[in-house]
Amino acid sequence: MSIWSEETQVRAKEIISRYPEKRSAVMPLLYLAMAEDGYLTDEGMEEVALWVGITPAQVRSVASFYTMYKREKTGRYLVSCCTSISCMLLGGDDILHAVEDESGVPHGETDDEGLLSVEHVECIGACGGAPAVQVNYELIEGVTSEKARDLVNWLRSARPEVVNTDEMQELFGGVRSFDWAVSEVDGAIGPYPAFQPLGTVGTEVGE
Amino acid sequence: MTESVRMTIDGQEHDVPAGELIIQAAQDKGTYIPRFCWHERMNPVGMCRMCLVEVESPRGPMLVTACTDTVADGMSVDTKGPTVKKAQEAILEFLLANHPLDCPVCDKGGECPLQDQAMSHGPGDSRFVEIKRNYEKPIPISDLVLLDRERCILCARCTRFSDEISGDPLIEFQERGNVTEINTFPDLPFSSYFSGNTVQICPVGALTAKPYRFRARPWDLSRVESSGMFDTSHPRISIHSSQNQILRIVGVDNDATNHGWLSDKDRFGFEYLGSEDRLTTPLVKRGGELVAVGWAEALDIVANRIDLIWEEDGGSAFGVIGGARGTNEDAYALSKFARVTLGTNNVDCRMDDALSSHFLAGSVDRALISDLDTADTILIWAADLKEEHPNLYLRARRAAQELGVKLIIVHPRATGLDDRATHKLHYRPGGGFALLDEIAEGVHPEIASALAAQKVVVIVGQTSFADDPKLAESVAALVRSKAGTVRIMPLARRANTFGALDMGLGPDLLPGRVSVGAIGCASLAESWGEFPTSPGKDTRSILEGLDDGEIRCLLLVGADPVNDLPIGAIARDALEAAEYVVSIDLFLNDSNADADVILPALGFAEKEGLVTNVEGRVQKVNAISPGPGQARADWSILADIADRVGRPLGLALAETIAKEIAEVAPAYEGVTWDLLEWDERDGVVVPIQGSQQINHIPVSLAGPRAPRAGLTLHVARTLYDDGVLMRHSPSLHRLAPGPLVHLNPEDARRLGAQGGRPMRVVTKHGEGDFAAVIDEDTPEGVVFVPFNQPGGVSLGTDPVVRVTAVSG
Repeated sequence: MSIWSEETQVRAKEIISRYPEKRSAVMPLLYLAMAEDGYLTDEGMEEVALWVGITPAQVRSVASFYTMYKREKTGRYLVSCCTSISCMLLGGDDILHAVEDESGVPHGETDDEGLLSVEHVECIGACGGAPAVQVNYELIEGVTSEKARDLVNWLRSARPEVVNTDEMQELFGGVRSFDWAVSEVDGAIGPYPAFQPLGTVGTEVGE
Repeated sequence: MTESVRMTIDGQEHDVPAGELIIQAAQDKGTYIPRFCWHERMNPVGMCRMCLVEVESPRGPMLVTACTDTVADGMSVDTKGPTVKKAQEAILEFLLANHPLDCPVCDKGGECPLQDQAMSHGPGDSRFVEIKRNYEKPIPISDLVLLDRERCILCARCTRFSDEISGDPLIEFQERGNVTEINTFPDLPFSSYFSGNTVQICPVGALTAKPYRFRARPWDLSRVESSGMFDTSHPRISIHSSQNQILRIVGVDNDATNHGWLSDKDRFGFEYLGSEDRLTTPLVKRGGELVAVGWAEALDIVANRIDLIWEEDGGSAFGVIGGARGTNEDAYALSKFARVTLGTNNVDCRMDDALSSHFLAGSVDRALISDLDTADTILIWAADLKEEHPNLYLRARRAAQELGVKLIIVHPRATGLDDRATHKLHYRPGGGFALLDEIAEGVHPEIASALAAQKVVVIVGQTSFADDPKLAESVAALVRSKAGTVRIMPLARRANTFGALDMGLGPDLLPGRVSVGAIGCASLAESWGEFPTSPGKDTRSILEGLDDGEIRCLLLVGADPVNDLPIGAIARDALEAAEYVVSIDLFLNDSNADADVILPALGFAEKEGLVTNVEGRVQKVNAISPGPGQARADWSILADIADRVGRPLGLALAETIAKEIAEVAPAYEGVTWDLLEWDERDGVVVPIQGSQQINHIPVSLAGPRAPRAGLTLHVARTLYDDGVLMRHSPSLHRLAPGPLVHLNPEDARRLGAQGGRPMRVVTKHGEGDFAAVIDEDTPEGVVFVPFNQPGGVSLGTDPVVRVTAVSG
């Protein structure tokens, strides 16, 4: 009866089993629904409602509150430029304009090909490495306008299956908040936040 | 039991119950703290911030929301000081930043908490010069409710109501920040049976009701308090009218029955009263046509015919069906008319779809609605409360959801309360006795142990027409044998069934819960004179008597047996065969359209009187409209006929009828209008003192068995149907589901059924085409067909059914 793939259903069951009340699983399941359809569709939200036993209106209430639940088609790569205080002081707006200019995609929109979406976001917790950019929520710190343009062109030409924070930091980043941080080998496979085991590839932490 | 604490409110010391919210404690002590989001019957959220008060704390004075902070010993609260005043003014200025000042065209204007509190607590000015939120206005969120998002102040009253109280949260906050709004899911309307309550509790004009929209200004309305008459719980209501037209009904908060809530049927189901189709003049059949005549002529015709038949065959040639829709005074007059004027006990207010009259009227351990709040366990083995007894549904839901009462539901399919049930059992229609045996034998230990609690309330009735009416009595008997204190709530349909039975509108009952032929008869005889002393025929037997000519004259009083009887054909045949039919009614219907004389009656809100609800609570209903044309109250019509026949009732005024009831009907001793109007506004539960009760003998657990294999038919009512009052209430009639057959997905697959496609349903008593609904709420092997739907056919009571796909 479910509109979801067998694999997604197995994941949904597993996630629900972690909570004493199944309605608590609404948020991770919304990411499953996004991964299933590429973005959050009405059908996806209705499916989540069935799984967690609340009404679609209640599911949509959660989904529409958080900006990371995309209810419109999003490109394969979501480029998020931070324009909150620290990043703004260090040129965050310039970075955003550079990304918009190089990609031809105004913030809040997606290119015709469905490859790139550009958005400006509020603080992404990388003030120490400002200005910061995320691609599919994988972080790059210490970005310059030049590097931001390179990033856009790289995404367009290389079209990586998986984007990884360490790799992109190496190619397009500058000063990091914590350069002693544990290296993150997992990456994101789409424009939804990565959490185990969805949306991540590579080895698990500690392996 | 409750401890009290000593606190100071605005410099005055008070003792208040510990654990109470500041806003409640202050209100009880006479200090009104302004509020929008807080509602006494719902959990607090602290959403609107209007109730800010200043409280002394170890860190100095601070502003807290009075609706979320509880009182404490030694607490000092300031509700009127400069800091509080500044906060209140600021909150109102913020709320009015986006709220449009369209009060002149707003339904709420004149009774709007925002308008009133802006006046009493607001700054009177605004620094806001920017552009307000702009939305399409208004948008329909259901067939009955419109939403104006510009006016909404996001207090979450409507969303909390639908989540906490009615259990159908189809509206919720959407989006965030400055674009937050209340809305439904796209294409999934707020189709709740209780949606009208959100309109009533909305503190602004954001939610408005379609039937009332732009019909009146609140200050122009005449108002009268009364009791809702769509189910037997009789919620407290206020009826509002303008120029003799009833325009709306709102709920009145009352602990006893409804907590202020109403079903949409109680709220919007009054439209029939103003219908163009109301009967306004007596009609007499002449040459196959109904002809309008004057009252005197019509009454003479009826009286002459009664005289004639009485001379020839005596009282046994008469039958009386109906009387459950009027007041107790009407019912008493009808009861007396049948016994004294017609000389018969062939009288029944039930429509062959009810439990035994003695069980309904005479169970001594009858439950109060408020017993649901304090029970340990509630067993519901009855109709789906949400569909047939919406006010009880809300109370039972609250008990299970908010008060932690164990809820056991036994029904052929999922009911509206299943999501809150501790235990639920679904059984094949007709298999009730077998299941009861299983419970008695300990096959369902979890249910047996839940029933072995200290205080158990049992709500019993027929789950469907396939249930033997005796099943309910057996269920009650079983629980009585298991639990500590048991309270029984036997259910009946039609608003004043309990009042009518108490007035003797049953073949074996007399006024005041006295059995025909019992000792109580003697005292009644003193007042009434002579009347038959052996039980008469019930509705089914009266109709059969008409069919075989034993009964020659039928009096229908607000009854439509063709549509209301489970097997409509029995009534149809009987009415065709009847020699003489007199109908007292509001409308022409399928049963009286061919009657010999039709007399126009006054309806609800057009006459005063008493009514008795499912608990035995007697309340007053009041008049606010004179009624159409020459329509008259039932009792006065009957009194006039009786005078002409020469065996008068001696009834001259509704109020004096009530006095006569209080004198001759044992259970109603002392229940007068004066008592209810001045002393007991919530009504009184009769008998006030432990006076006479019918000695009801419970039946054994044995009963018929259901077919074990194949499909079984479950016919049950839905809230909206094709009943004659609904037919003339357009706002609700269009919400009736129509001719549908609900099938389990597995059965649907086997039968080749597709959603929306027609299926042929055939039973012993009828056949017809119904649109398929594929439905997981219906268990495998059960076929659910809603009863009496526009365009549907009557399928009878036999659970054996054949369902096939209609080709083409």
